[in-house]
Amino acid sequence: MRLNDAVPGVFLILFALAEMAYTTTFPATFGQQIGPDLFPRLIGVGLLGCGVLLVISGLGTREQVPLVTLGDWATDSRAFFNFLLVPVALLFYILASDWLGFIISSLIILLTLLYRFGVSLLTSLAVAVGTTIVIQFVFASVLLVPLPWGLFQPVVW
Amino acid sequence: MDIFLQALFLILDPYVLGVMFLAALFGLFVGAIPGLTATMATALLIPFTFFMDPVPAIAAIVTTVAMAIFAGDIPGALLRIPGTPASAAYCDEAFAMTQRGEAEKALGTGLVCAVIGGVMGAIVLSVAAPSLAEFAIQFSSFEYFWLACLGLSCAVVISTSSTVKGFVSLLIGLFIATIGIDVTAGYPRFNFGNVELMAGVSFIPAMIGMFAVSEVLRYVASTHTPLPMPQQKIGNVFRGLGPILSRYKVNIARGGAIGAIVGVLPGAGADIAAWIAYAVSKKTSKQPEKFGTGHVEGLADAGTANNAGLAGAWVPAIVFGIPGDSITAIVIGVLYMKGMNPGPTVFMNNPQLIYAVFIAFFVANLALLFLGFVAIRMSRQMLRIPRKILMPIILMFCIVGAFAINNTVFGVTIMLVLGVLAYIMEENGFPIAPAILGIVLGGMLEHNFVSSMIKADGDFLGFFSRPIAATLGVFVIIVWLIPLISLMRRRLRAAVSTA
Amino acid sequence: MKHLGFSARFAGMALAALALITSPSHAEYPERPITLIVPWGAGGGTDATGRMIGNLLQAELGQPVNVVNRTGGSGVVGHSAIATSKPDGYTIGVVTVEIGMMHWAGLTELTGADYTPIALYNFDPAGLHVRADSPWKTAQDLLDAVKANPGEHKGSGTGQGGIWHLALAGMLNDAGLAANAAPWVPSQGAASGLQELVSGGVDVVSCSVVEAAALLEAGRVRSLAVMADETLGAFPDIPTLKNETGLSWTNSAWRGVAAPKGLPDDVKAKLTAAMEKVYNSQEFQTFMNGRGFGLIYKSGDDFAKWMSDSDESLGAAMKAAGLAK
Repeated sequence: MRLNDAVPGVFLILFALAEMAYTTTFPATFGQQIGPDLFPRLIGVGLLGCGVLLVISGLGTREQVPLVTLGDWATDSRAFFNFLLVPVALLFYILASDWLGFIISSLIILLTLLYRFGVSLLTSLAVAVGTTIVIQFVFASVLLVPLPWGLFQPVVW
Repeated sequence: MDIFLQALFLILDPYVLGVMFLAALFGLFVGAIPGLTATMATALLIPFTFFMDPVPAIAAIVTTVAMAIFAGDIPGALLRIPGTPASAAYCDEAFAMTQRGEAEKALGTGLVCAVIGGVMGAIVLSVAAPSLAEFAIQFSSFEYFWLACLGLSCAVVISTSSTVKGFVSLLIGLFIATIGIDVTAGYPRFNFGNVELMAGVSFIPAMIGMFAVSEVLRYVASTHTPLPMPQQKIGNVFRGLGPILSRYKVNIARGGAIGAIVGVLPGAGADIAAWIAYAVSKKTSKQPEKFGTGHVEGLADAGTANNAGLAGAWVPAIVFGIPGDSITAIVIGVLYMKGMNPGPTVFMNNPQLIYAVFIAFFVANLALLFLGFVAIRMSRQMLRIPRKILMPIILMFCIVGAFAINNTVFGVTIMLVLGVLAYIMEENGFPIAPAILGIVLGGMLEHNFVSSMIKADGDFLGFFSRPIAATLGVFVIIVWLIPLISLMRRRLRAAVSTA
Repeated sequence: MKHLGFSARFAGMALAALALITSPSHAEYPERPITLIVPWGAGGGTDATGRMIGNLLQAELGQPVNVVNRTGGSGVVGHSAIATSKPDGYTIGVVTVEIGMMHWAGLTELTGADYTPIALYNFDPAGLHVRADSPWKTAQDLLDAVKANPGEHKGSGTGQGGIWHLALAGMLNDAGLAANAAPWVPSQGAASGLQELVSGGVDVVSCSVVEAAALLEAGRVRSLAVMADETLGAFPDIPTLKNETGLSWTNSAWRGVAAPKGLPDDVKAKLTAAMEKVYNSQEFQTFMNGRGFGLIYKSGDDFAKWMSDSDESLGAAMKAAGLAK
């Protein structure tokens, strides 16, 4: 998805205004003249300026560059679905991993993504199981990363 | 000489060499996996070092870190996902080379430069430790502020597309750096009550998101069958390296010097050294337009600088007990535990131990030449795997990597949000390297600015009140003015010629 | 009927698994690895002592003890991670003096009462450190100089509102001066505060003596006083503040091991006994003395009382110094 420069420009202006408004809620610091609001405000001013420049340059090229150009994926439903699948997979891990545990979550995510990307079911299964075992062994057992056990907790120990 | 021989025997002990070999394998592995950093590898070594004598304990850390920093180049070059933050500066460049079918050139240069940088850093450490530390300890917040400004100017130099968009990207990075409790006032900003965000946006998940997740998104968004990797195998990485090394010998020497100096400064480590070296390389290059398109020149500078920075960071750590980077912060703890209390006295009390540490640096970096070669050979398997299988696996490793840095699933959230952001930014021509730089330098810039203002009672002239600060400040201002002056010159000349 | 047989078997297995999952285990604690949360970064004093304790506890309890750094947010993140984890003894953590400060500063609701105290193991008083070439030879010189020129001499050593900021502000307050008569320059920790001191950026650093030990030994820093009732065993030459100035102000940081609130009594007893053994072990004592960390031991209710006393006095001091919200 490609946008005319004016679109991110407008977004940056709105964001900068909101951010600067929010910094007014920061309290002054005891015994100091400079509070925690100074730097965010300077950043806000910078973003505002850049936003204005982008809007100007974007309007200048409006003839050649339409406001929104959708990428190929938007017209291809399979690709569109795959595109959404990546953030959804991450969201799934964020929400479910603690309860399901790493092993189950990882199997579900890998299996789904691999299969959807066009890998045969058998290969998907083999890769998903293999990768999960390797990660579990290396990270949890060797590197001592406390990956969640989730449902397996009582079974394993 | 006696002490030197004693130290040499301490290192050449078969047990110590065995420990170093295992540590090397560990370091290569950790470095090659995005999300696992050299700092984390060091922290994981601590429990093992409990049971070791001082020399093997320190040698293990030295070896692990040197290997990890080089190994970070491998996924950077092959997949455009830097294994450690220190490889982020030139990751795009190396990947562009791989796309042109020059992976062996990129990795070979990275490896040899890493070895040279490591050896240069080790020389600096063993020859100049006390006097360099003396220089570095003169730095107060004024000097650090100017240093951070210098680092920020790298953003403009390294961004290849429009200046405004590069600037926006930098500001986004700086904004992300302001999230969380600020060190100066102790007030939580932009966290909207979220306890995890109080700690701010962790750099590692941010980096994984902006490089790796955006790459996976780009892969799935391309509907036509993705371009196959142009290169299916990696040939001899050392072939054709001679001319590169001799052509860029000045770059390598300069990268090593920049790395060592930035490393010596407390609070700035290998990653910042790599950014600065890369920007200096582009700025002084005869062919700056080639940077970003897969040009080996910047790799020579930055690949040398990050490994040289590692040894540099040990200088203030050993001499004053002030850590040069996060790795040496852990090392100081180990030194204390082993009875080698940092301070000038360590050179009197345990000289053979300190020299053994220096020798360990040399041995580790020479071993890197061979082991790094083996690691590159093995990593070519990565190129054979079809991308539709590789991408989900990468995503899973990224999830675990983002989780592991703070052991919280919140890291995965950061990775997701910034990954989507980076994807949108890149699609619309906003470079992401300045944003990464902004996240790295934001805290340092703000903190040192505010501390300096407090110290100077709000008087901006305070930034020029100390000799080193004034020199640095004037230098920064000149660097900033050069593009303006050259622009005005061109306008003037144009006006004269039309008139 | 092969199918049914399979599903029946499967159902049986699932039931058995479910029973395993839901039934409380009766085996003796600990039967799996324990996580020890450290709320500060790798390399600092809390991390070093936490890792040492983790290692020794591991030998004592016979299960791996994984040390996990949960850093950031002036300690809020790690402390709340400990308090909000399951009180089953498999997640414990190191709590530090900041638990009695953060809620006064309005950063969190957490207090020491949100934990099951296991054992206090470390206690480090604040010191007053100046550059080796400083004109101030005694703590009184420093106080006089601050009194003569309020606002001119700057102090550092930790972030705004941190424990060492309180040490300096409280001392000034006790001496009848404004708490910000020596303005605070926030730093990211003792190490960067000391760097500022040595480079001439600030005039005094009020961090603990052990944190300044390397520079002290290097002759770059001079310690004028320690804010404790007695001089320190490892640094007998540094006089107490009271001896030097007559001020009875004391300030110190402490560290202890705690679990989330609601820990079962048998688990608590087991952990406390293990911690006592760890504390008295040769390795721990050598390690702490070697680095100059102060040693103190209190367990159970004594530790709880210690936390609430500390909380109260810190609150009063922070209010007096204007650091409380």
